[in-house]
Amino acid sequence: MTSTEKTSTEKTTEKTTEKTGTEETGTDRRTTSSDDPATAAPAAEAGFAARAIGLRKVFGATVAVDGVDLDVPTGSVLGMLGPNGSGKTTLIRMLLGLTRPTAGRAELLGHDVDAAASAALPHVGALVEGPGFHPFLSGRANLSRVAAAEPLLGRQPLGPVVDAALERVGLSAAADRRYRGYSLGMKQRLGLAAALLLPRRLVVLDEPTNGLDPAGTRDVRRVIGELHAGGATVIVSSHLLAEVEATCTHVAVLQSGSLLAAGELRTLLDTGGSGLVVSTPDVELALRTLREVGVTAYRTEDGVAASDDGPPAPEVIALLVRAGVAVHEARRNRTNLDELFARLTEETP
Amino acid sequence: MTTAVLPAAAPRSAPLARLLGSELTWVLRRPRTLVMLGVLALIPIVIAIGVTVVADEFADRRGGPGLIGAVAGNGLVLPVASITLALALLLPMAVTTAAADAIAGEAASGTLRGLLLAPVGRLRLVVMKAFGVLVVATLAVLVIAVVGVLAALVVVGAADGQLVTLSGTTIGLAEAMGRLAVVVVWTVGQLAAVGAIALALSSLTEHPMVVLAAVLGGLIVFGVLTAVPALDWLQPYLLTSGWTAGADVLRDPMPWGGLIESSLRALCYTAVGAGLATHRMLRRDA
Repeated sequence: MTSTEKTSTEKTTEKTTEKTGTEETGTDRRTTSSDDPATAAPAAEAGFAARAIGLRKVFGATVAVDGVDLDVPTGSVLGMLGPNGSGKTTLIRMLLGLTRPTAGRAELLGHDVDAAASAALPHVGALVEGPGFHPFLSGRANLSRVAAAEPLLGRQPLGPVVDAALERVGLSAAADRRYRGYSLGMKQRLGLAAALLLPRRLVVLDEPTNGLDPAGTRDVRRVIGELHAGGATVIVSSHLLAEVEATCTHVAVLQSGSLLAAGELRTLLDTGGSGLVVSTPDVELALRTLREVGVTAYRTEDGVAASDDGPPAPEVIALLVRAGVAVHEARRNRTNLDELFARLTEETP
Repeated sequence: MTTAVLPAAAPRSAPLARLLGSELTWVLRRPRTLVMLGVLALIPIVIAIGVTVVADEFADRRGGPGLIGAVAGNGLVLPVASITLALALLLPMAVTTAAADAIAGEAASGTLRGLLLAPVGRLRLVVMKAFGVLVVATLAVLVIAVVGVLAALVVVGAADGQLVTLSGTTIGLAEAMGRLAVVVVWTVGQLAAVGAIALALSSLTEHPMVVLAAVLGGLIVFGVLTAVPALDWLQPYLLTSGWTAGADVLRDPMPWGGLIESSLRALCYTAVGAGLATHRMLRRDA
């Protein structure tokens, strides 16, 4: 990963200036993600791994994707959320150049998808719309066929690459069985192996945990974590919120083809609620103490909640402790992704 | 991560030779290709057995000018007769099946997008697929030719190494083989035309059955049109109208007119089919 990256960075930096609207929360990039030690080093490379600029796709009378602007920062793990039929897959297919947009354009690793997808695609691994393989070939033969088409494998022998990929997804034992006999989870694993056949700069996984058992889901999480640590950008689409919350640094929420929200996961969750939640048995004392200094406070299930209009959080806690309130736990009042998602998708009709 | 070392100037496509090799393995590992080749190999054997059995009964009143009849006691006609017979339906079916699987089949199994994402350039993809279809066509004809020659030598007897032509003259073994080669090449050319049209249809759909039905249906319609006297003016445009020319190699002196004319017609069909397939594949969503 050397010379080609240089050209793509040059291209993307000049494009960051013409940022398009709709994603107020997407102004994060490296500054915020650098507190995660794993991302600090690779994130030094600026720009976006993928961009959608006014992407729109109409199938007959149905608007599948309706003018989506989305920037995927390099090195991020973007979770694409949305109910079934919200346009996740169509958006991903347009980003990869598999579907021609009705309007707008897409960029991959700094290259325009319509004009120069072939420059970016060798660095992109993708598992889109489920694994696609030939039933009469073994897992290994199927993967060899995928490997033969990979430009970056040059003229090196494919066998070791294929074996390593099979090993990585835990399919070594079943490598010589026909794909026909694979279970749903094994098929999904083989699809993952094809996407990760060689080191990628961008990995796109469309519903990667479909049909996987809990161990398989954990494996996918581990793989995403490894990719992230290695500096790769990952786009995961899913309707499993917990999965996204556990693995992603960024989120994009789609509904009926429109982007409802996009940005860093933490920022989005913070906007959901505010203030401080304190667990304590001394509710009355805590309420009195807080109201004395002018903080709006109210009773919660196991303690009190303080609004943000008073002194900063450390002072509030110090105040409570000094007043003799037994503080068991104090945390930001943060919604989880479930609540955020429900709120976003229910707000708009 | 794998230990792949990325070259300094990242290539944008895999080496063509490796792509073709991979396509070849895929085509030849597909069970239906192997079954098809096996069935085609049976044609000359069945004709040979049939003719020997029947020849004994009709020994006295032999001399009917039919192609199959001429096989009896004159073994080297067997491969030519088998190829001509198979060209009516079985060979086009084998080639169409290959072409249907090549693009529509890949789309149906979800592997087409894998190839496009690798990426295999769309033009390269057409070249790769056309190569695969052509290999099937060539193998299919060669199987009939080779089994035909062997069956002729074993079952029917080679008429002392001489080929008695339909015109009654005899030619030597070497020339007989040369003429067989001519008919093999000519047939592959006709099948290339069928394959190109089938590939064009294949690029339009993701249902291989549609391709098979359309091409075979088309061939039958062509056959019907050929049989209608009022539509004689259509003949020069129908691919199938020249398909009897294969038997011309059994005449002496060999008339080249029909072979050349039908080959040119096949060339036109191939060009149109390849053009349409390419045009469509450059735009197709996968």
